[in-house]
Amino acid sequence: MGTRMIAYDLIIIGGGPAGMAAALSAKEHGVSNILIVEREEKLGGVLKQCVHSGFGLSYFGEELTGIQYAERFITKIEQSDVEVFVSTSVINLQPDGSVILSGEKCGLCEAKAKAVILASGCRERPIGAIAVSGMRPSGIFTAGMAQKMMNIGGYEIGKQFVILGSGDVGLIMARQLKQMGKDVLAVIEQEEKCGGLERNRVNCLEKYNIELRTCCTVSEIHGKSRITGVTIKNLLNSHEDFLTCDTLITSIGLIPECELAEEACSGGRCPDWLFLCGNACYVHDAVDDATFEAESVGQLAAKLVISGTIPQDTKIFSSKAEKTSDSGMICLGCPKACVLIKIDNGFKGAACGRKDPILSCV
Amino acid sequence: MHDFDVIVIGGGLLGCFVARNLAKYRLKIAIFEEREDLCTGISRANTAIVYSGCDTRPGTLKSRMCVKAAQSFDSLCSELGVRYKQCGSIMVCFGPKGEEVLRKKYSQGLENGVRGLRLLEQKEVLALEPGLSSDVQLGLYAPEAGTVLPWELGLAAAENAASNGVEIMLNTKVTDIERTEDGYIVHTAGGSFSSQGVINCAGMFADEILEKVQNPLVRIIPDSGDYFVLDTKADGCIKHVIFHEPEEKGKGLTLVPIVEGNILIGPTKNSSDEKDAFKTTSSGLEKLRTLVSEVVPTLPMEHVIRSFGAIRPNPCYVHLDSASGSYVPIEKTISGFTIVESEETPSFISLIGIKTPGLTCANELGCFVADRISSLLRAEVNTEFNPQRDAPLRLNDLSFRERSNIILKNSSYGKIICRCRNISEGEIIDSIRRKPGAVTVEGVKRRTGACSGRCQGSFCTQRIIELLAREQSVFPNAVAKDGPGSYMIWGGKKDGNKNDRV
Repeated sequence: MGTRMIAYDLIIIGGGPAGMAAALSAKEHGVSNILIVEREEKLGGVLKQCVHSGFGLSYFGEELTGIQYAERFITKIEQSDVEVFVSTSVINLQPDGSVILSGEKCGLCEAKAKAVILASGCRERPIGAIAVSGMRPSGIFTAGMAQKMMNIGGYEIGKQFVILGSGDVGLIMARQLKQMGKDVLAVIEQEEKCGGLERNRVNCLEKYNIELRTCCTVSEIHGKSRITGVTIKNLLNSHEDFLTCDTLITSIGLIPECELAEEACSGGRCPDWLFLCGNACYVHDAVDDATFEAESVGQLAAKLVISGTIPQDTKIFSSKAEKTSDSGMICLGCPKACVLIKIDNGFKGAACGRKDPILSCV
Repeated sequence: MHDFDVIVIGGGLLGCFVARNLAKYRLKIAIFEEREDLCTGISRANTAIVYSGCDTRPGTLKSRMCVKAAQSFDSLCSELGVRYKQCGSIMVCFGPKGEEVLRKKYSQGLENGVRGLRLLEQKEVLALEPGLSSDVQLGLYAPEAGTVLPWELGLAAAENAASNGVEIMLNTKVTDIERTEDGYIVHTAGGSFSSQGVINCAGMFADEILEKVQNPLVRIIPDSGDYFVLDTKADGCIKHVIFHEPEEKGKGLTLVPIVEGNILIGPTKNSSDEKDAFKTTSSGLEKLRTLVSEVVPTLPMEHVIRSFGAIRPNPCYVHLDSASGSYVPIEKTISGFTIVESEETPSFISLIGIKTPGLTCANELGCFVADRISSLLRAEVNTEFNPQRDAPLRLNDLSFRERSNIILKNSSYGKIICRCRNISEGEIIDSIRRKPGAVTVEGVKRRTGACSGRCQGSFCTQRIIELLAREQSVFPNAVAKDGPGSYMIWGGKKDGNKNDRV
């Protein structure tokens, strides 16, 4: 292949909270030669745009903003000898374990490692994924995109907002917009109850008198250039009314960004050298949980790097396991993140038929 | 002395190809485009199919052009550096009515000279397309059909025209046209220009342009269609263009495995009363889902990433209604290509309501019109015409070594901006600097594919806005998504508050 080839013991794809926690944990468990590949200009992942607090209660025992939470890990990474490539993307993860990197500084290069952890986070479900009729004007943003444009870009994106979907990011955006003096006309939710956490519903909507319209959806988008309004349809009685707005924020679901792992898997089986953690595996409610889990994954990867094998009985439990008892388990062994059911002599439900599922409770 | 020898009104796919073919003659040519970019109308939303030529009646201009175009499409695309996938098409049916249509198209295709046509039995169809419903009865296979991105093709033709001396005037809306002794004066918002000849390629508005110089003859009645786009994760679920001939009245399903690896599903046929409303309808999208479940039940509809609306122009003759004194369109649509040239308006040629297979025949139509006008104007052949266009770099199509060398020379090709399609900053900058270059986010999308992947631009749009602003030396709040008024940003600290919108 090319002339540039680099080698590490462990490569971590993604420098968000999960990637950083996995790196520090692997370091602590004896791995010396670690690379984090981050596609953005700075470490921190989505936390960089989270100016609100509510992070760190279970991990640090105190309430932090997303930025503060990330800073604590960034400092530790900077103090360690973990190597970081920022503004660098993984364009291909090959079944033989080689990682193709593309970056301004490193150019195009091939990297090899004994283990790879995919911690690339999640993306937002685009509005195109749901069959909303009408025009396709400007002024429609996913909640995370809006949050990034406002909190990192410093841009003002609109004045009068309607929010489709009551996921946590949508609720948090509703509150932030209201705090900035914007009109937040309504949060539209198709289900009977709020999609986000109860504490976010109370703290973000109730406290700020923002209307939550359940059993409703946006049935049509209006406006040829910039959005001029939306038709809201009540799914129970089909009643429709029109809301004038200049911006529509969508918060209609998060999808693990694990396509690189899918490329590396062959025949439905995830290779032994590949691990997933954080939202790339499944979407977590709290970053603290993702951190705990990522540390376990880092430890597991360290075992593989040092001894060449992973013990068969390794199990990873998230902190949520203590809170919920009746829920299923998720296999962390591959990006499919199959939900497993406990049976007498083990687990069933892994699509690949893997006998040694790496587990996490949901 | 005229400002131009020929003015082409409208910079859609057809206008670009007319201009490209006119450049083969020693003529001073301009394209007048109302919008800020080319290929923003009908060309930007359609089914992306290159037809083999078995759908049209033998002996017509349409059939002759279509068959010829399909057979030379590969060489046209390689000349222009455009991606073309000659994947073949299979028309399928599920009952006796459809079977009759397929057999008719088979013999029609043979008569038209379509090569490689074959009727396929059920098991042959299913062997080629195992995802289709096993109720399929018969298939009509046309190996010379394919798929191309219409805007990529149109923009390539425009770049090729520009490099051969055609002047492309954007933001130039034609307000009036005046007949003079030896030609025309075309009035626009940006001034008036004289020309010997005019080619009217104004798409949905071609009838209105024609009526500026003569009495109404043909009017365009719009209808619209809905489409779904599946993520590249569905790549391979179908391998050919699939036409479904329904048993019931109405439009069947069409599936296209487009060159970027997505699958296009659609269109429906809805009535529309607006010529510029690219909107979807919930009933149409619902209809598509139902059709998919019947025709290709295995298609992974959970990978839908976008739906969009297209507009089609239906040309209809008009007659003067004596009672009201106004012109009224006759219901029935004209089936052939409508090319209007009349004695009262010499050297004024109108292409009105060119629909399917207009994409397939764009270069043929351009050639036809260019040959006609050049003989009217007695133009000499331009021996310096270069049909080759320097295609933009597409890093994903290069080998590791080629890609690596390019990044070593210019590091911006290493920085990935669109993570879904792995499009680099360098490729986005190129798309802005090309002539004619992108000036909007959609312009970048049409040229590079950025924003068209599974995240639909939620990660990269801000970066693209900033690159557009930097390259054009404007504030980010001056960057539009797609045309006038479609701004993305109101203001904010990066712009300085004095530039905020009110």
